[in-house]
Amino acid sequence: MVFLREGLCPGLSEEMIEALRSKDIRTVEDLVSSDTEELAQTCSMSYKALVAVRRVLLAQHTAFPVSGADLYDELLSSTAILSTGNASLDKLLDTGLYTGELTELAGCPGSGKTQVCFGVAANLSCELKQRVLFIDTSGGLSATRLLQMIKAKTSSMEEQMEALQRIQVAQAFDVFSLLECLHNLRSGGFQQVSAGGGVLKAVIVDSVTAVLSHILGGKQSEGMSLMIQVAGELRTIAKDLNVAVLVTNHVTKDGNGILKAGLGLSWSHVPRTRILLKRVEKPSPACCSLRTATLVKSSRQPCHLTQEIDLKSWGETEDELPGPSGKRKLMDEDPREA
Amino acid sequence: MIKNGCAVRLQVAITNNILANFSWLWELVEVTLARMHRALSSFSFAPAVKARLIRAGFHSTADLFKLRPLQVSKEAGISQEEAEDVLQAVHSEPNYGKTAKSRLTALELLEREQTLGTIVTFCSNLDCMLGGGVPVGKTSEICGAPGVGKTQLCIQLAVDVQIPVCFGGLGGQVVYIDTEGSFLVQRAVDMAKAAVEHCSLLAEDTEQQEALKEFTVETILSKVFLFCCHDYMELLAEIYLLPNFLAQHPEVRLVVIDSIASPFRRDFEDLSHRTRLLSSLAQRLIKMATQQSVAVVLTNQMTTKVWNGQSKLVPALGESWGHAVTQRIILHWEEQQRLASLCKSPTYREATVPYQITGQGFRDVAPTCLPTTSADPSAFPSGSSHKRPRMEEDCCS
Repeated sequence: MVFLREGLCPGLSEEMIEALRSKDIRTVEDLVSSDTEELAQTCSMSYKALVAVRRVLLAQHTAFPVSGADLYDELLSSTAILSTGNASLDKLLDTGLYTGELTELAGCPGSGKTQVCFGVAANLSCELKQRVLFIDTSGGLSATRLLQMIKAKTSSMEEQMEALQRIQVAQAFDVFSLLECLHNLRSGGFQQVSAGGGVLKAVIVDSVTAVLSHILGGKQSEGMSLMIQVAGELRTIAKDLNVAVLVTNHVTKDGNGILKAGLGLSWSHVPRTRILLKRVEKPSPACCSLRTATLVKSSRQPCHLTQEIDLKSWGETEDELPGPSGKRKLMDEDPREA
Repeated sequence: MIKNGCAVRLQVAITNNILANFSWLWELVEVTLARMHRALSSFSFAPAVKARLIRAGFHSTADLFKLRPLQVSKEAGISQEEAEDVLQAVHSEPNYGKTAKSRLTALELLEREQTLGTIVTFCSNLDCMLGGGVPVGKTSEICGAPGVGKTQLCIQLAVDVQIPVCFGGLGGQVVYIDTEGSFLVQRAVDMAKAAVEHCSLLAEDTEQQEALKEFTVETILSKVFLFCCHDYMELLAEIYLLPNFLAQHPEVRLVVIDSIASPFRRDFEDLSHRTRLLSSLAQRLIKMATQQSVAVVLTNQMTTKVWNGQSKLVPALGESWGHAVTQRIILHWEEQQRLASLCKSPTYREATVPYQITGQGFRDVAPTCLPTTSADPSAFPSGSSHKRPRMEEDCCS
């Protein structure tokens, strides 16, 4: 619903708008769907001018066809497949995260969503030397852990620092700041900062549910519209900036106690690929970093494909370092006065 | 709303054919292209204002471009002040100065994490598991059955956060929100006494001697701000007002809510309403923790869940609450031994360590060589905190 206003298109003058308004033509929609000839007569205005305005308005609001061949060329030239750094996860995603698409990770608390996000960010920035934007909405982002993962990949201090600099962090704890952040990204706000080189290849939102879940449901009317806006922005960013978008989602249980991703049916159309992460239920505490990942939605691979992933595969540095007791002893000798 | 280059070119060609003599057309196209549209509904205006703006035909920031407050207020039927606010928000939007504050690189975040530090628990195993203690700037949840020591740990943290900087502490103050009436000032005195005694044994140079004069049981107690909330409404109100309080007391480094569960486990018929309240509360707490550099520590109760004929103890308040906090520690019993398990953390691996509660407070189990399955010591922030581990060892011996 776009209202007719002066300046909306050339040739649409104040008098014209007034005349149209007197015939109850207020929006572009009204103008386009009314009979131009009749309108010119009843409003006593130039038929030619009215037709011209109508065509400009139609041209302004229309979409344009793109040939399939062009689309394919564009796809070949611009799409990148970004490895997540974990072989079994890559297998599940058909070799990795695709730019221009939205991928979702869903799972219970502690199922490793955030760890996978860190792993992807570390791999992109350190191995592929590309830039990543990490939008943290739940306070879960830990640079200490990121450094740990990067340390496992490279021992050079300089490279570690560069890799960390390629990861941009934005903190948005409510839906409006998330939207603002996404909008800034879309209009080029993040492109200006480019320390460490590389191109922005991925946007990670951990988690999208944290800012959306409490505004949905009940008597609130705005929530759904805001959720759809977030979805729209994420899709536009994926397409326009040609980046891979990775979001995390919570899970709920349906009537039969089966886990399904949160945010309901309307959100389930948003991600192109959806992965459900689960803890491996084993009594022994040794395998606590094992998780299963199940493909729930995908346009490339058969669904319900399951892979076991080990969160440690992104790097666990502790084995190479002295145990905590050794460390403490070392520090005991270290005199405070020094 | 975005048109790609090709579309715009084609559109320009068409419109040029029709209106060849409108030379300012190019200008118009450029203006539209230069200002990316942001939907007005994505701003945090009052819903009524938003609805009126949209009804009057203002959909995106571009529609308000070059308009005056008076025009907007007349066209949309909102008051002039509202129109001014709207225009101010819209016009300030393309300048990224405001958002730059919340945007940084991971390297800067790492520095921030290290300068913020952690609060020691006086139980070195637990500290190691958490990478040096309870992290400042994050939210942590302590779950456990009654009597396992949740409140003891909270009181211990409330004392420990006040350890002077020259002893490797944070020298901070505490906001303690008590919803169960379980804060025992006598226990706080016990623990404060032990902490003071412990520091006085450590004091070596004159700086530390000076600091000790300020670090007494009385000052420790005077730096604890205790709020008692009796129902969830009072708790919500308190948390809404807390950012102001923290702004007035910039020394506060720890906010304890003991417990989050008890006010939310009664008085609710509509559970989805409770879930929404809790998750919006969680976002508030996370925002507060990050922006005002405080550690937020919540305690939660346990509940029995029956699943496939088996029952097990799980943290209360439902599954979705599990996402709300950044770090979750479960305190539990095994035989006669108290154990603390880290079961959700973005930084450190899951682990279980033993602890005990003594007259002096929360402590390590007697120093027999216990197998420590704990976190990466490299993450132990160096700098001022390197004195801490020694203190802990001394205090247990």
